[in-house]
Amino acid sequence: MTPETTHAPLLRVNNLSLRYLSASGPVTILHDVSFELGRGEILGIIGESGAGKSTLGNAIIDLLAPEFQRATGTIEFGGKAIDAADGKGSGGIRGRRISAIFQDHTASLDPLMSVGAQVEETVLATNSSLSKLQARTRTLELLARVGIPEPHKRHRNYPHQFSGGQRQRVVIAIALAGSPDIIVADEPTSALDATVQKQVLALLRNLVDETNISIVLVTHDMGVISEIADRVVVMRNGQIVEQDVTSTILDAPQNEYTRGLLAAVPRLRTSRTVSEREISKTSTTPFAERDREPPILVAKGVSKTFFAPGLQWGRLSGEAGFALQDVNIQIPRGAITGIVGESGSGKTTIGRIIAGLDTARAGWVKIGESDFDVSRNGRRTGLLGRVQMIFQDPAVSLNPRTTVGETLRESIRFGVSPVSGEEPPDMGAMMDRLGLARSLAGRHPHQLSGGQKQRVAIARALLARPQIVIADEPTSALDVSVQAEIVQLLKESVTERNISMIFISHDLALVQDLCSTIYIFRDGRVEDFGPSDFIFSHSQNPYTRSLIDARPRRFTH
Amino acid sequence: MKAEIIRVLRRPPFGQALTLSKVVLAAYVLLALAAPAIAPQNPYDPLQIYGWEASSPPGTVGSGGFIYLLGTDGLGRDIVSSILYGLRISLFVSITSATVAALIGLTAGVSAAYFGKWVDVAIMRLVDLQLSLPTILIALIAIVTLGPGIDRIILALIIAQWATYARVVRGIALSETGKSYMDAAKLMRLPTSRIIFRHLLPNSIASAVTLIPIEIGHAVALEATLSFLGLGVPMDKPSLGSTVANGFQYLLTGQYWISLFPGLALFGLIASINLVGEDVRRRLDPRSRSI
Repeated sequence: MTPETTHAPLLRVNNLSLRYLSASGPVTILHDVSFELGRGEILGIIGESGAGKSTLGNAIIDLLAPEFQRATGTIEFGGKAIDAADGKGSGGIRGRRISAIFQDHTASLDPLMSVGAQVEETVLATNSSLSKLQARTRTLELLARVGIPEPHKRHRNYPHQFSGGQRQRVVIAIALAGSPDIIVADEPTSALDATVQKQVLALLRNLVDETNISIVLVTHDMGVISEIADRVVVMRNGQIVEQDVTSTILDAPQNEYTRGLLAAVPRLRTSRTVSEREISKTSTTPFAERDREPPILVAKGVSKTFFAPGLQWGRLSGEAGFALQDVNIQIPRGAITGIVGESGSGKTTIGRIIAGLDTARAGWVKIGESDFDVSRNGRRTGLLGRVQMIFQDPAVSLNPRTTVGETLRESIRFGVSPVSGEEPPDMGAMMDRLGLARSLAGRHPHQLSGGQKQRVAIARALLARPQIVIADEPTSALDVSVQAEIVQLLKESVTERNISMIFISHDLALVQDLCSTIYIFRDGRVEDFGPSDFIFSHSQNPYTRSLIDARPRRFTH
Repeated sequence: MKAEIIRVLRRPPFGQALTLSKVVLAAYVLLALAAPAIAPQNPYDPLQIYGWEASSPPGTVGSGGFIYLLGTDGLGRDIVSSILYGLRISLFVSITSATVAALIGLTAGVSAAYFGKWVDVAIMRLVDLQLSLPTILIALIAIVTLGPGIDRIILALIIAQWATYARVVRGIALSETGKSYMDAAKLMRLPTSRIIFRHLLPNSIASAVTLIPIEIGHAVALEATLSFLGLGVPMDKPSLGSTVANGFQYLLTGQYWISLFPGLALFGLIASINLVGEDVRRRLDPRSRSI
């Protein structure tokens, strides 16, 4: 911390309480929130969904919907109160002194305007005395500053010609255009891959260190906090439960809730926790004789091309439209196999092909003794229905118009016909096992929490009595605390029911604890594979190493 | 203040307006059902009509022993009675055609979205073709081909209207098919009909259902236009729309009541159908229900 932060806070929020006027009456969203932000400081605001952290961020930039009402409190900028209540006093501050970065870099940019023009527009809007030429020069400076290569050429390009990380850099450049004192960044890296996330966070840290601006960083991710925040405010249900210097929060949290949040963050082990000798025995030769039992599923030579007319995938990706290229994988029986990759790596596509939902261009899938040609319709070949899936977003994986009970009964009725003499599975018992109250059977999905919905999705998959379950990012839409519970349930389901699972994820730490074997996908190909221990401690593959290095150091042992 | 006004305008239940339109709509339906019992005159019965009392202004005492409250039309028919009987025909024709058109259109649109490929191409090109022609033209072609009669009118209106539903529902169904609950249904190997009718259709029809009241309104207007052109319901059994059309020629000579009162009745009918329809849509969508 710089010395002036102690006596002259740049931003001070005093006893702020906000109410939301909903159709069913006012609801308190923020309750008595107070904190200070010093110059040249990154203040992290962390909390789970519904904590009020985004509302707080929006209150600072004065972007609240008219339904929000300030009950008590003030927001002071440089010693003067910003009056968000009538929106008048803040015009000169918002956009000039305080600017913002949002999560969705695609929605933040105008697709029909070159990025240079968008930055320039903001430069001129915040500094009208500049000439056209000066504005252009400043634009190029800003683009160079945020790390866009060759800005004098690239400024003419449109948002779709940039990668996600570059788009977010452009958004940062726009936020910087008015030389603000504060940037409010709401989940600035949540939509980015881990390796890119790391670079963008480094850029933000660098900006703060060099230009002495301050950042309010709203996030749900302890990893992001641990990487760049100086101080942390932990929020829950609209209240601050704890605030302190980052190292204190991470190492010696006082509050029970903070401790729980930290404990729920998956940690990566790269140190040689297993003795060297043991690793060399089990891991240096992937799939050694220890797997005597034949794999339950083998995918051979699976390829899929992208058919995207007019989008010119080839030119952008340089991969001539291959979504998957000659992918071979083996899924061992009774264990969890991880498929890890960044966005666009083909990890979801291979899952859908194995499940029979998508057809490939070529390839075979062998389950047990049956071979399936995946270049043909999965329903016709009989592949569809052999594998059940648990999907990423529980909000759309349940039919909003059927009740939980109807969904589960359908799964029992239409799932794989039971072996003769076997009892059909019991819905109530399954709900008990997965921690769902039986009374929830009469509810519709919108009346459930995210964690409950995902439990219903798991119950649905298991009640169909599959041999293989594919879980496609089943926890990435959930809060960390819920995430840990779901992972535990999946783990137990595999051992209790002797099923085999494919766990698709972008999160190495999650996969490490769960999976015995890991495949790392990149650009539609298997980049690296092997037993979990081997991948994390011995793999020499540079891409695997870069993925491991992209993890926040604080949560890597 | 501004926020207050916006909030009031945005408020989804229409309060008194909704209650009023429910009452009005219920009254319309009751009046239509009870028409033979309460109408002072049967406008279909030539024996009850006195031709020399044609175009009497409102309030005239007629030979039948009752007062022409809203006057008579060019043939001497009591306007009140014409409205009541016309209401029956208009409601029957429009509700039947809009509902059947909805059933056909929704099924076609959802099937196009679900099956894709040639099914989609076949259905949607037909829809495009239909929607590129004015609805009235389609109805005209249909009625000319099919011949006159109330049943033919209903058929013509169905042919003219199903495409709108198909177009609207296909777009929604297409985005629904991309959601993972549809994938989950496929993974259960549910019969295709069950996937379509139990999972896809109920989640796609919410905004198409709101079309039904509006399309009923359209059907009333369309049927009136056909009748105006002499291709609609038979002249001796006028609907609400054709009663308006019948008075059109008298407007210029100051005999406003022949068109005005059936027109007002038509306006009230369509307005109340639309308001109640919006409320029905909100109730049909479980996502808009509070917990």
